[in-house]
Amino acid sequence: MGLTRRFGELTALDELNFSVPSGQVVGFLGPNGAGKTTTMRAVFGLTDLDAGTVRWNGRALRAEDRRRFGYMPEERGLYPSMPIAEELIYLGRLHGMSARDAASASARWLERIEVADRAADKVESLSHGNQQRVQLAAALVHDPEVLLLDEPLAGLDPTGIDVIGQVLVEQARSGRCVLFSSHQLDQVEDLCESVTIINRGRLVASGTVEDLTTAGTQRLAVRVEGDRDGSWAAGLDGVTVSQIAGGEVRLVLGSTPSDAVLDAARAAGRVTKFDFERRRLSEVFREAVGA
Amino acid sequence: MRHLWILVAIVVVVLTGRLARRRRRPNAPAPSPRVPRDRRNPFGDTGLVAAREIRERLRGRVFRVVTVVLFLAVGAIIVVPTLRTSGPPRATVGVVDGSRALDDGLRAVAHRVGLTLHLVTEPGLDAARSALRAGTLDAVVDPARAILLDQALAANDTSARAAFVHEVSLSLGARGAFARAGLTPAQVSIVLGAKPLAVVSLHPAKRPQTTPETTALLGVIFNFIILTQYLTWTLMGVMEEKASRVVEVLLATVRPLQLLAGKVLGIGTVALAQAAALVVFALILGRAVGSSFVHGAAPLVGTATLVWLVLGYAFYSWVYAAAGSLGERQDQVQSLALPLSLPLIFGYITSLVGVGSGSPSTLLKVFAYLPPTAPFAMPALVGFGQATWWQFGLSVAVSIAATVGVAVVAARIYRRAVLRTGARVRLSQLRRAPSPTR
Repeated sequence: MGLTRRFGELTALDELNFSVPSGQVVGFLGPNGAGKTTTMRAVFGLTDLDAGTVRWNGRALRAEDRRRFGYMPEERGLYPSMPIAEELIYLGRLHGMSARDAASASARWLERIEVADRAADKVESLSHGNQQRVQLAAALVHDPEVLLLDEPLAGLDPTGIDVIGQVLVEQARSGRCVLFSSHQLDQVEDLCESVTIINRGRLVASGTVEDLTTAGTQRLAVRVEGDRDGSWAAGLDGVTVSQIAGGEVRLVLGSTPSDAVLDAARAAGRVTKFDFERRRLSEVFREAVGA
Repeated sequence: MRHLWILVAIVVVVLTGRLARRRRRPNAPAPSPRVPRDRRNPFGDTGLVAAREIRERLRGRVFRVVTVVLFLAVGAIIVVPTLRTSGPPRATVGVVDGSRALDDGLRAVAHRVGLTLHLVTEPGLDAARSALRAGTLDAVVDPARAILLDQALAANDTSARAAFVHEVSLSLGARGAFARAGLTPAQVSIVLGAKPLAVVSLHPAKRPQTTPETTALLGVIFNFIILTQYLTWTLMGVMEEKASRVVEVLLATVRPLQLLAGKVLGIGTVALAQAAALVVFALILGRAVGSSFVHGAAPLVGTATLVWLVLGYAFYSWVYAAAGSLGERQDQVQSLALPLSLPLIFGYITSLVGVGSGSPSTLLKVFAYLPPTAPFAMPALVGFGQATWWQFGLSVAVSIAATVGVAVVAARIYRRAVLRTGARVRLSQLRRAPSPTR
């Protein structure tokens, strides 16, 4: 709450407030330099805060609470020359697990992320994508209650995105708090129930993907047989033509009711498509950050 | 004892850090109840970090190669000097115009001085000279004229061969004098066969021994090699964690001081284990081959060397670890390590020169009380026998106090620098730098 962090003249976090509900995958969005990584680092005590507190379960977050958190930093970090399974066991034990539990969890996660056959190999011998999967396992090996992932999908192929995406959804379904940052908004839209968008260290939008993409003005996609340039829509009062492509006209409705648009389209010819459209998350994002 | 000092240093650092945090934040909330921890891990996160360091170092190829090289070097130092004097001394002696009585007399003298004697009857003096020059004979005894040697004996030669020559020379001279005095051969035999008066000692004789200075010299070199190796590993270990970014994952759950202390403790344990194994190996091998390195004051000097190896590592390791947190590229290792190694090298060379000169200089005596140079200077002083127990203890106390101070500063530098990636971090950048809150 009220997270504030300044680096000299630069204000990285400016009284930032947001919450992460459990049981949902929450996307943490913002342009480069918006303060996403600083926020995550602040949660783990990796940077001082000039003001504000991180709260968990209704009280200020304590050092011991962080043992129940899982973290995947933006810059991936594992010992390159350490065997994969051994590395996961080590990290599990640092989070308070017994050697036996850590070994069991390590084996289970390596199986889940489909690199079990490489358990004895060194991390540096893995491909970038597989290293990313192991990094995710490192964040999950101790069965955390809160999962914070900084750009977990960056640089992954579609298979890798599917595997990591499934894991995140599973974690959320089992009641964990899952927050991840990404610039891949299509994936965020597919995976997340909610998003939090920040810009220049401030919260600019937050809510469920459904609410954010359906809020505001109505949007229509209309196709009229024989019409190529959408000239029938040009003169409609209170309607903005946002796109004309392949004979399909996209309209943003102001105060004009959709019935009036339908009448105008019928007058121009046979209507073959008349769909209400919701906004893409990328549009919500651009609007929120003023891009 | 050695481990105790390191543990004491760590405990003091941890307590100091906690007190400092309390002073900064007087209204800080009460400590939160800890998450249930693994009871089979009594040393906590620091122990886990240290255990990983130990495993990784022991597994590394560099460690194994260096260990083999060190064992071979120590073995050579112990064994080679004994090879030159191995086995009982032997001599082949030619006899001109001899007799059975003379042969018996020569054998008796050889037995007394511990020489294995092989007698060769020579047909004449010329033939004996030729054999002497050819090296087939070590000496020629002509009872009527002289004892011939190829090369004169040195005045301070105390070998069995020299003792044999001296005694035979005296014996034959006396035999001639007795004969000229008119004694019968039987009387001469009685006189010459007289048994010496028994000499009774209260304590057994000391075995020949290496001077303590020689052991101190080896100790100074030993400390320099081990310290240089393991301090560089400490620096590179911290740098590796920073470069691979794993440090951010670790610091998300482990406090910076725990991570730093675990690394220092883990690498230090490997260093001590290796040093102790080398010393034990040297002692066992030395006894097996009869080396003089393991007798006399050598064990005392060796113990002092090990004590100062521990103290030297404890002092420098924090500094090297802090330096490692300033960089993240391999090409920065030299530039980071060089300024730190200067006092180390200075102390090493001063101690080497001091031991080599045969007497401790004033500079060496001063260096023995300065923590950066004491790991070399104090063992050297012990080798000279010029360090009393209280002087030794004073130097140890100064070193421990300095180590605590250095560790506090180093931990602060580490905390502020280790998460700053990119270009090499300058100390001036850290004055107002952000740091992990824990």
